[in-house]
Amino acid sequence: MVSTDFDVVVIGGGHAGVEAALAATRMGATVAIVTMDPDKLALMSCNPAIGGSGKSQLVKEIDALGGLMGMAIDATGVQFRRLNLSRGPAVWSTRAQADRLAYTKSVVDFCRRQRGLQIIEGVAGEVLVDHGKVRGIRTESGEVILSKAVIVATGTFLGGLIHIGPEQTPAGRLGEPAACKLSNSLRNLGFEVGRLKTGTPPRLDGDTIDWSRCEPQPGEEPPPWFSYRSSPRELRQVVCHMTYTTDDTKRLVTANLAESPIFSGQIKSTGPRYCPSIEDKFYRFAEKDRHLIFLEPEGMGTSEIYPNGFSTALPESIQRQAIRTVIGLENAVITRPGYAVEYDYCPAYQVRPSLETRRVAGLFFAGQINGTSGYEEAGAQGIMAGINAVNHINDAEPLVLDRSEAYLGVMIDDLVTRSTTEPYRMFTSRAEYRLALREDNALDRLTRYARQYGLIDDQEAVAFEKLCAQTEQEVRFLRNTTVRVAELGPFESRFKKQTSVSLSHLLKQPGVGLEELLLIMKKGGKPRRPASDALRRAAIQIRYEGYIAKQQREIEKFKRQESEVIPDGFDWQNMNGLKNEAREKLLRFTPSSLGQASRIEGVTPGDLAVLAVHLKRFRDSPA
Amino acid sequence: MAALRLAGKRSLELLKLHFKPAKPSEKFRPFLMRYGVFTGADGEQLDEVLAVYMPEKHSYTGLDQVEIFCHGGQQIVRRILGELVGSGARPAEPGEFTKLAFLHGRIDLTRAEAVAQVISASTEASLKAGREHLFGAYSEHIETIRDDLVTVIADIEAGIDFLEEDGESDNAASLARITSIEQKIARLEQSYDGGRIINEGFRVVIGGRPNAGKSSLFNLLLRQERAIVTGTAGTTRDYLSEWIELSGFPVNLIDTAGLRQLGGSIEKAGQARAEEMISEANLIIWMVDLSRKTWPSLLRHDLTELPKIPILLLLNKIDLIQQTKKDLVRKIDSTVSSSTVITSCKSGRGITRLKTKLVEAIESHMPDMTSGLVVTSARHKGKLGQALRDLRRARKNLVAGESPELVVFDLRQATSALDEITGRIYTEELLGRIFSKFCIGK
Ligand SMILES: Nc1nc2c(ncn2[C@@H]2O[C@H](COP(=O)(O)OP(=O)(O)OP(=O)(O)O)[C@@H](O)[C@H]2O)c(=O)[nH]1
Ligand SMILES: [Mg+2]
Repeated sequence: MVSTDFDVVVIGGGHAGVEAALAATRMGATVAIVTMDPDKLALMSCNPAIGGSGKSQLVKEIDALGGLMGMAIDATGVQFRRLNLSRGPAVWSTRAQADRLAYTKSVVDFCRRQRGLQIIEGVAGEVLVDHGKVRGIRTESGEVILSKAVIVATGTFLGGLIHIGPEQTPAGRLGEPAACKLSNSLRNLGFEVGRLKTGTPPRLDGDTIDWSRCEPQPGEEPPPWFSYRSSPRELRQVVCHMTYTTDDTKRLVTANLAESPIFSGQIKSTGPRYCPSIEDKFYRFAEKDRHLIFLEPEGMGTSEIYPNGFSTALPESIQRQAIRTVIGLENAVITRPGYAVEYDYCPAYQVRPSLETRRVAGLFFAGQINGTSGYEEAGAQGIMAGINAVNHINDAEPLVLDRSEAYLGVMIDDLVTRSTTEPYRMFTSRAEYRLALREDNALDRLTRYARQYGLIDDQEAVAFEKLCAQTEQEVRFLRNTTVRVAELGPFESRFKKQTSVSLSHLLKQPGVGLEELLLIMKKGGKPRRPASDALRRAAIQIRYEGYIAKQQREIEKFKRQESEVIPDGFDWQNMNGLKNEAREKLLRFTPSSLGQASRIEGVTPGDLAVLAVHLKRFRDSPA
Repeated sequence: MAALRLAGKRSLELLKLHFKPAKPSEKFRPFLMRYGVFTGADGEQLDEVLAVYMPEKHSYTGLDQVEIFCHGGQQIVRRILGELVGSGARPAEPGEFTKLAFLHGRIDLTRAEAVAQVISASTEASLKAGREHLFGAYSEHIETIRDDLVTVIADIEAGIDFLEEDGESDNAASLARITSIEQKIARLEQSYDGGRIINEGFRVVIGGRPNAGKSSLFNLLLRQERAIVTGTAGTTRDYLSEWIELSGFPVNLIDTAGLRQLGGSIEKAGQARAEEMISEANLIIWMVDLSRKTWPSLLRHDLTELPKIPILLLLNKIDLIQQTKKDLVRKIDSTVSSSTVITSCKSGRGITRLKTKLVEAIESHMPDMTSGLVVTSARHKGKLGQALRDLRRARKNLVAGESPELVVFDLRQATSALDEITGRIYTEELLGRIFSKFCIGK
């Protein structure tokens, strides 16, 4: 038996595990990732894409905190574009198709080069705890690895069970064994363990698809990169395609609903409402005759195609028939069947906003174990768990971002105050201060933390400062430059009473973006100005400034409630005057501030007032 | 009959200490009214009373609670209170019971405010509005509006987060919804003018040239009608304010100093005050002294200077002149469109007709009380106005093709404003402000 000593042990080498391990090493800790297959770090088990609405903002935040995800996708993506372009920069969301295998390879290479990080092949079977403090782990083969902190980032492997039709196979991903002992270890430690479900579509052989019948969808030029640290590269972007299901698909799927474990009663856990299986779609939206399917390439060196929107757990034979009813897929060959997977998770009321478990000091949960789905959600939690594991070891205050600072803060706050019962996906609408939480200002929001914790190097910090200075310069330019109203073309009629108008004023008009502005300037004979990052940032800043100033008052109100901290040791038991429901909820979630308590479902303003009174009494009573 | 309320753990114990039931064998059962005698600590029988006990969680305050109904009379009530305090009870702070009820989730914020209003209600109309709020018709109405609003937001949000390729969301439907919500809120907001009349009384300001008989009328009305609030002190050179009840409506009657009076600075100040009062009136009674020869020309002049507020013209001192009504009306019809009453404060002629006219005027300004959807609080009106402004901006942006995240921003702001009315969103200041308005420990 070999004992190894690390500051931090990370269980699982998925998107959460990798970001956790990298953040911790960057902060100077020695870290081990314990994973089943060291060649499969950050594998994309489901769709080969990074980003999308709400998710891209998380990737930008990971990037601002020195994380890897943005750089890895920039290096290996095959198509980049922004969603929501017609909907305003606050919700612009970058999305990239990845070359799956290249992505994983680039992450593996990066991790191998990272000093202080060791990747250990093995399956964690037990979390070792002594007097409420974590001591390390024991692998299923009996090896003990001692550490000061442990981060559990096991994805769908924890008690994973794959369903294809009536067949059930214990597995984390198709063909890869599940981790069952670890769930029991967590149960034995007293954690409540629940069950969630997610699914994936079959993969297709692209050479058997009739592309002429599908609608092409090219990437955006130049490609919108994710990371401010990536240097742009030459990329011949691949084309994605869109197609639709047919009446035959509807008939076939509807006729075979009973064959699907989702409908036969075999699967009892909840799947995500926002990513339903094709069975669910035809059942729940019976009035809709066809559904949109995206055909996404899995990479450069493969012809494998991911039919996004066709997640299913029907028996393989029916999947084969059903897929051939889709336009363009009449002769398509399935390379791997779709499936549903059930896995264990620990409802997130059991972790603190730092992601440290309430039950065991030094034990952190990140990713799907907290009930989320998605690589970006996982990676974002990973980076926070990594940072706070090291803060824990250093006896430092944890880093907790609030809802007004980052999507990351929104997500973790949602998790710890609500404990979702369906897999949690980020959306822009979850962020009440959305106008201030944008892709373009992730750096402005988070760089100071990255510097504080040593997550980025000096060079990166200097680059950011330069960008800020340039942005300010561009803001001044936009405010101080005017154009003649007569030269505004289609926008002329909006400024009847003036002869000239400032560029900043123009930017606040509906329908005027940077592109329109540059065009107007060109017509007005102004010197050409390159559409630099700084200018883009400046334009967005100006567009929203009025709204953000208004939002600032809300944020201040919010911050006041957040600052009403409920200290550890607060007596939750003896609070009279509370309704039972509220008492149970508060005991379960043990919120860390009055503001957080206010977001717990079932807690009324009255309950809060009672809590506030008790809190005051608790603070005033001599210790 | 007066009701006394005790709340807290020792309520029943205190009651048992002072209450001698007529049937001692019967036990105290929740919500069962019992008859008996209230006795002092020294055994003296103070009053025959009814008493009822309500257990924790089932009472208004959420605490163990006792209510005692006695025969009233300030004297007796004060003695009984004294006895209870002597035995360990503490007088309630203003609004404390309602605050308790709110804190225990028995009532929501609008209801708590309604209680405050019922308590301070001095007239029937005011009481009714308060009761409607109390029974929640009003919060329900606001909740329905809020619900509509959240539906619109959800529709637009869905277009942002979920319609990745499926094209544009349905703006026309959202627009129609927003417009309808706007109308509902606007209607509610406008009801405040009526609500304010309910709450603050209908302001009738008596104005006119010096010596027209304003004070005479003021006193006459006060003598004939029940005065319900004692007036604000003021010199005759300033103004006098009293409350009377006119067929169920609270009327705030204000007597002002005569305008166009020559005099020193005190008189000038009084005139300024009179003008101010007149400008804030719901109705002006403009009095004319018929015994003055020049009255028609003076009146013509004065009417051009009065603010655009409904005016009731009183041609006073009819007893002093020998003209028919017809003659008089002919003299003014070129100048006046307002309704006219001919009176004599001396003989009392025309006063009944004046009152009828007053009631008519009040009724035409009163909101429809049957729906119960009347805004009576300035705080609510403020929030509704805020929501309305946000909605207007959202609608304008939607029409102008502004991007949806900004449309949603304003819609969300509007939702927060409504939430602050029903207390969905908790802020300490808000609670503090509302509960500080309570003036008795109901
Ligand atoms: N004959 C007669 N005298 C009246 C009548 N109304 C008022 N007076 C008399 O008119 C005089 C002035 O009356 P006030 O009521 O003091 O008049 P005012 O408008 O309040 O006067 P200022 O406050 O000085 O502006 C008094 O002597 C009253 O008795 C009326 O209808 N008939
Ligand atoms: Mg007078």
